[in-house]
Amino acid sequence: MRRYLLVFGFGFALALIVGWVAFPRALYVSRQQPLDFYHKTHAEKSGLTQCDSCHVLGSDGTFSGIPRMEVCAGCHTDKLGTSQSEAVLVESYLKPARETPWLVYSRQPANVWFSHAIHTRRAGLACTDCHGNYGESDETRVYQQNRISSYSRDIWGHSISRLRRAPHDGMKMTDCESCHRRHKVEVGCLGCHQ
Amino acid sequence: MKVSRRDLLVGGAGVTAGFLFTPVPWKLLGDVSIWTQNWPWIPQPAHGPVDTKQSACTLCAAGCGIRVRMAAGWPVGISGVKTNPMTKGTLCPLGFAAHQLNWHPQRLREVRHRGRTASWADAQTAFEKACTEGPVAIFDGRPGRAASSVLQAFAAKHNGSYRVVPSPETQALTPYADWSGVPVSALGYDLENARTIVSFGASLLDGWGTPGRFTHLWSEKAAGATDPQLRLLQIEPTLSRSAARAWRWIPIREGSEGALATGLARVLLEERLVATQSPMAPMTLEDAAAQTGLGTEAIRDLARTLVEQRPTLVIAADGNPAIAALNHLLGAVGSPGGIALKSKPNLSHVRPQPNIGPNRAVLLDSSVPWDFVPETTAEVFRFAAWDGGSSKADWLLPSPGFLEELTDVPTAPTSAVDTYAVSVNLIQQSEEVKNTAQFLAKIDSTLPDVEKLIHSRCEEIFGAKLGMVFAEQQTPVTKFESAQKLEEQLRQGAIWMGNPPKPGGFRCILQEWPARTAPSHTSDWAAAWLPPVLPPLAAKLYQESNLRDVPARREV
Repeated sequence: MRRYLLVFGFGFALALIVGWVAFPRALYVSRQQPLDFYHKTHAEKSGLTQCDSCHVLGSDGTFSGIPRMEVCAGCHTDKLGTSQSEAVLVESYLKPARETPWLVYSRQPANVWFSHAIHTRRAGLACTDCHGNYGESDETRVYQQNRISSYSRDIWGHSISRLRRAPHDGMKMTDCESCHRRHKVEVGCLGCHQ
Repeated sequence: MKVSRRDLLVGGAGVTAGFLFTPVPWKLLGDVSIWTQNWPWIPQPAHGPVDTKQSACTLCAAGCGIRVRMAAGWPVGISGVKTNPMTKGTLCPLGFAAHQLNWHPQRLREVRHRGRTASWADAQTAFEKACTEGPVAIFDGRPGRAASSVLQAFAAKHNGSYRVVPSPETQALTPYADWSGVPVSALGYDLENARTIVSFGASLLDGWGTPGRFTHLWSEKAAGATDPQLRLLQIEPTLSRSAARAWRWIPIREGSEGALATGLARVLLEERLVATQSPMAPMTLEDAAAQTGLGTEAIRDLARTLVEQRPTLVIAADGNPAIAALNHLLGAVGSPGGIALKSKPNLSHVRPQPNIGPNRAVLLDSSVPWDFVPETTAEVFRFAAWDGGSSKADWLLPSPGFLEELTDVPTAPTSAVDTYAVSVNLIQQSEEVKNTAQFLAKIDSTLPDVEKLIHSRCEEIFGAKLGMVFAEQQTPVTKFESAQKLEEQLRQGAIWMGNPPKPGGFRCILQEWPARTAPSHTSDWAAAWLPPVLPPLAAKLYQESNLRDVPARREV
């Protein structure tokens, strides 16, 4: 009997190790961004300290998202440094006028409608409430892509258990719902899924 | 140590139990469900700049104002336009999802000849041959558009006939046109000033007329109130969605609407509840009660209710003259809250011809409802964006889908005021589709051009200096510098609205009470057809999904 308990316990422990340690590593594949980009460097050298300096929210509520190449071209008409990324930016994207195929950490499915204008202007949320304090990052984060769903790990959140997370960790529907519940804002299904 | 079979089973049980305490099964379940949303054959909008454009819906003749959210040049969401004076931001459920219709599995993308794939050249050759061999009938479901003028011009030049497939709302106004001599396109309902509306089976809260117009009015003046500002009396055999929300539902026997109207008229005249001089209704009250299934006292009560809170407007679901005559009796013709004469009957009206006669070919525009089935031996050319199934057409010709063509949107059939809007092609029309006007222009290059016709209509509106243009702000036409500026505004989704109707202006002369208590049907298959109150695709989808009761399903 004791032997069977040991065997059962071994199997149980093995599953726990695989499930909690190996599975998250196997589930996500790491992908590099096409260029290195440092928010901190841009803030320090160009004085673009506010998020909306580059991620522009239009007066009509439209949101630019990641700036298009013409915004980058405002400063990077020529190489501003000797880094490899700078050379790639100018030669591969700016000169041929191609958009950089950034891997967007917060990309949501196509059936999700989200208005930055409503959340920042009407609800008064800060960018960091959802995106974290990446404006001060001095590294380019590796983009971790879910092998099955193909979405970024930032959507599920970095904690596989989704327990004891930072407030901005995770952008699942349940995260939206819990925030709406906290702020007593009812939007219904069509509020986000139009 | 020897590993037995039982060890493996017990270890497996441990692994299984252990996995239940890990995220593996739960996370995999979620991820797999998301994976199924992203299969490659499921159309996905492209990533790109998000933009908002304004336009007019072209699913039906109502032409509701729509705000279209575009991502990378593709429509991804539709909502109503609050500044639209007719719809005030309201849309029908189909309108909200209309941009999805272009991806419908039944979308037509190739020319079909009797079920087989054919080419546009084949269709053109066949139609040209038909035109040389005999008369051609061209059917239009939405008269008054610029494209309608092209169809009319082709029919006139090629010894053909131009026919309009009337909407049920238009059919319901036909008796007034017959009695007054005013074209039916110049008539409308002044719903906003009515205080009692009596609907004889018209689905007022379920897609009738301009869907948002009455829904909005009802929500403002009637919803939830026991003594509403606007009383809606719904007379029909079944508890429809309109009947369920009405102030009062009066269930009667199928097909006895005309008898009830005649009975009501008799009470109104006998008890001198109305001042209008009218010939006496020929049916006795007892006969009306026997036909409708209502008691004579119930009909008397109903007649008294009609005059309790006036103006009272009676709306029929079809062209039943006995029901229309009630409006004459109640003094609702040409008066506020009744049948209104629009400011200017500016759109050409083509009266249905009594008989269609023999034709070599019949051409159906894409605006003709799908369930308008041509019962003819002529060769049928049918334009449609979607295949509704069971088509008897010889040729199925793929036409542009939603927001894929430039078209204008003239006044909706029930409107009491003239309106004009332009719906531009927000999506690039693909080469595999053509609309009727483009097809006919290939055959006869001298036909007028839709774009030029729209331009000339804008010039007409500008020249008349009447009405207002409703965009973000309201601008009187007199404030526009040029017709071009006005056209620009309309192309950006604004709507022009003429002056509100003035009381009077026309009257009906009723020599005798209508002998018929049902709409007339001729032996002509085209005139005998009963239209649904729905756009072509919706008619099929709604009826098959049991979302709407069709006359054939009604039971007392």
